Amino acid sequence: MRRGMVIDLRRCTGCYGCQISCKAEHGTPPGVLFARVLKREEGRYPSMRLLFLPVLCNHCAEPPCVEACPTGASFKWEDGIVDIDQDKCVGCRSCMMACPYANRYLNDSPQNYFEQGATPFEAARTARHQTDVVMKCNFCRDRVRAGKPPACVANCPTAARTFGDLDDPASEVSRLIQERGGFPLHPEAGTRPSVFYLPP
Amino acid sequence: MQTTRAKYERLIGDLRTELRPQREWCEGRGLFLVIGHFVVGVAAGTWLFALLFESRAGLAAAFGLAALGGLAHLAFLGRPGRFWRMAAHWRTSWISRGFVGLALFLAGAALYLVALFAPGAPWAAGSWLAQTGYAAALAGMLVLMVYMGFVYTASKGVPFWTSPLHPALYIAYALRGGVAALAVALALGAASSATMEGLLLAWSGVTAAVIALFALEVHGALTGGNAAARRSVHELLAGRVALYFYCGTLALGILVPAWLAWQGLSGQLSLAALAALGLASALGDFFMKYATIRAGVLLPVWTPMAPQR
Repeated sequence: MRRGMVIDLRRCTGCYGCQISCKAEHGTPPGVLFARVLKREEGRYPSMRLLFLPVLCNHCAEPPCVEACPTGASFKWEDGIVDIDQDKCVGCRSCMMACPYANRYLNDSPQNYFEQGATPFEAARTARHQTDVVMKCNFCRDRVRAGKPPACVANCPTAARTFGDLDDPASEVSRLIQERGGFPLHPEAGTRPSVFYLPP
Repeated sequence: MQTTRAKYERLIGDLRTELRPQREWCEGRGLFLVIGHFVVGVAAGTWLFALLFESRAGLAAAFGLAALGGLAHLAFLGRPGRFWRMAAHWRTSWISRGFVGLALFLAGAALYLVALFAPGAPWAAGSWLAQTGYAAALAGMLVLMVYMGFVYTASKGVPFWTSPLHPALYIAYALRGGVAALAVALALGAASSATMEGLLLAWSGVTAAVIALFALEVHGALTGGNAAARRSVHELLAGRVALYFYCGTLALGILVPAWLAWQGLSGQLSLAALAALGLASALGDFFMKYATIRAGVLLPVWTPMAPQR
């Protein structure tokens, strides 16, 4: 089994729902964005368009971050999800340099969103993350193990995201990639990403 | 809170830019990594040239520098208390290999130097323990020279560093740093004119190799590299780190010591001038590494294959 995601760029409206639902699910501190949306304007007035590219960890089949990690803190589960064991991370940031997609973050100090201090939500969710270690998306592994889709998939209002098994040729993700010409980011890096995009 | 907000705003600004500069390995605590890599490289080179020139002071200096480099690496880590875990993945990780190499070097050099400097030590200079230390230090030295370049080459997120020439360049830096540190160590003692001439010739040869490798790397980035690699070269030669490159690397690290070396090879060079040559050359190497690392630009996520209608 190799878990993967397909993002339909024709359906994405750049609403940031994935980004917000991810933050709510994981309680990530300020400056840590497991899921984010890139925007770009193209063309010249009046023939312009706004493009959106939602990005997250690509859970590569051949992850350079896992190879670069000196402690084994970065590892791959048997279902292909790339994860970090916070108890093993020394904070050397070699995985951040090795990732061609810049989707890893160092949580370098305790941070709150508001000057008044931690909100009850932050005290419950954000405070559980260790500081001075690297963080990243883990495809909401706890939700997936419970039979639910990742938070960004469940909360996308346009159903632009599909989650499934890339190894199963009959799965929805495999079908979409096959029929719509799904492509990964930076295939030249040789990392075999598990996140595919459908052209708009 | 102000600091946190400023850092957050800068990150958001970085994420919005097409070509995002890497800051993790050069700013804040990241500066300790640059210092650590520089000092450890110099230590390995110093050990090699101290063996070649039979300098006991050079051997001691190499050990001290390696210990300092190890401390700088610890200061860089987010969780230094877990440093021992870094030996775990030597099969795939170059950082792990460097950690093993440094441990091997420090342990081996300690065994060898105790016998060399303390006549009353439990083991003599020719004993199997001292010889084992000699071999371990030599193996550790080779790893220290080689691993740093590969750490950067394995950083796929920063195209400027992934040049296949990078490991060779870092070996050349280590050798140049070794000659420079030995020049300082010998100048503090009493170097013979033959030793001095040998050192100056070695410095000239290694410096020529560094310049050639660096020029080839820059040429490769400009002609065959992607937008991020070209931006890095631009940052280095005409951007935010150009001052360090021109003043620190070219003027202080190449021109000043080259002039001193020329003086020494064409006449007599004072010990103070030899020390100045070594210091200037070493400082130039530091600025070279600092500028190259800081010029690193992350691979843009938005590729030409992405949304095209």
